[in-house]
Amino acid sequence: MEIEISAAGGFAGIAAAGMHKRIDPDALAPPLARQLREAFAPDALARIAAAPCRTCPDGLSYRITVTETETRSFTLREGQLPPEMLDLIDRL
Amino acid sequence: MCLCLHASHHNPLHCIVPPYMLRVIALRGDPETAAMARMLLAEDEAMRAERAAHASPPPEGAPGLLPDPDICCPDRRIHDGEGRAALPGRLVRPEGAPPTGIADADLAYDASGHVFALFAEEYGRNSLDGRGMPLVATVRHRQNYNNAFWNGEQMAYGTGDGKIFRTFLDLSVIGHEMAHGVIQHSGGLIYENQSGALNEHVADVFGALSEQRVLRQSVHEADWLIGRGILAPGIDGRALRSMKAPGTAYADDLLGRDPQPWHMDGFNTTTDDNGGVHINSGIPNHAFYLFCAYLGGPSWHLPGRIWYRALQELNNPMASFTDWADQTLRTASTLAGQGSHEQQMLRRAWTLVGIRV
Repeated sequence: MEIEISAAGGFAGIAAAGMHKRIDPDALAPPLARQLREAFAPDALARIAAAPCRTCPDGLSYRITVTETETRSFTLREGQLPPEMLDLIDRL
Repeated sequence: MCLCLHASHHNPLHCIVPPYMLRVIALRGDPETAAMARMLLAEDEAMRAERAAHASPPPEGAPGLLPDPDICCPDRRIHDGEGRAALPGRLVRPEGAPPTGIADADLAYDASGHVFALFAEEYGRNSLDGRGMPLVATVRHRQNYNNAFWNGEQMAYGTGDGKIFRTFLDLSVIGHEMAHGVIQHSGGLIYENQSGALNEHVADVFGALSEQRVLRQSVHEADWLIGRGILAPGIDGRALRSMKAPGTAYADDLLGRDPQPWHMDGFNTTTDDNGGVHINSGIPNHAFYLFCAYLGGPSWHLPGRIWYRALQELNNPMASFTDWADQTLRTASTLAGQGSHEQQMLRRAWTLVGIRV
């Protein structure tokens, strides 16, 4: 599994101010790897993406791409992601 | 287009209401109606809903137009996010409490008071919703977070990563975020394309005016920068945006050049950034600056009053730049007189940025 996360948008409107991370859970400590595999499972991301979300002025937009046997991409608003998941992204 | 194919059988809105109307309902309806509209929009086109659904009470009773006789004092509630994403975090400074020693929290407290005072004392508005709502803010939101936002209920400010941004606790930024709350509770402006750029524009206007009023600066003394001093020391730039000279706020190897146009000739058609909401706002921003420059004096006086009242009277969440310019001219006619010098200068300002009025 490989997880690629990039963020864009926000108050600045400057793409370069966003982040870009590529994570291989296998290279991380097993508890964190397990947490990541669960949180970023394509089905879990699809459920988050399907929920309507209030637009948040100046909010960020995340592009998350997960590659297992196939590659799936999701665009998610910051306000759609649960805080625990945002904390996880910040830790990576 | 009709939405009857996939809509719920129990839904009174279904089959009658076209998507553009649903988006206004999602923005303005009471929570239940707004949720219904959001659901219909989600069924229509799943991800469209996220852009429109920005709940806001209806403008009925126009709380923003008649000064609230009960305006007294802000009810600030500053929280410490402690580096995590959960909102609002730990309450560290409620209204009236002494300084916390957390610099960001104390800055947010003082700045929220200044922004409250601008709207209350100059425009007769009692807080962001016109009804005295608490001013909830979270500082130290997440880690190395390069952003500040209004989430529909509260403000949140990151610390910046130290490489691109050094802070977000600047009065123009705080005024900007709080103005998003005022816009939401004034009928709203849908956050994409031209109406979204107007949302950003109005937020920048009241962000700049918050700062100018505290510093008692006339139009020619003010720098008209949004986010002065928030860029990290290594970044080649003065601020995030310039209303006086859009497109000149920064030019840096890492960030590139400030992309804001000042004229419709430079209007940027893009799908990024909700349709360029932070880019094309440069055009109305510059028109506002020009209008203020033509009049001289303190910009929070007549120009601010026109912009504030125009926002209350607009009643069009999908307004284009031209719709907004027309509304400001109508409001200028009410406040300064039809054919007045002030109204002529406003027409001149809009014309100079390429907006036909």
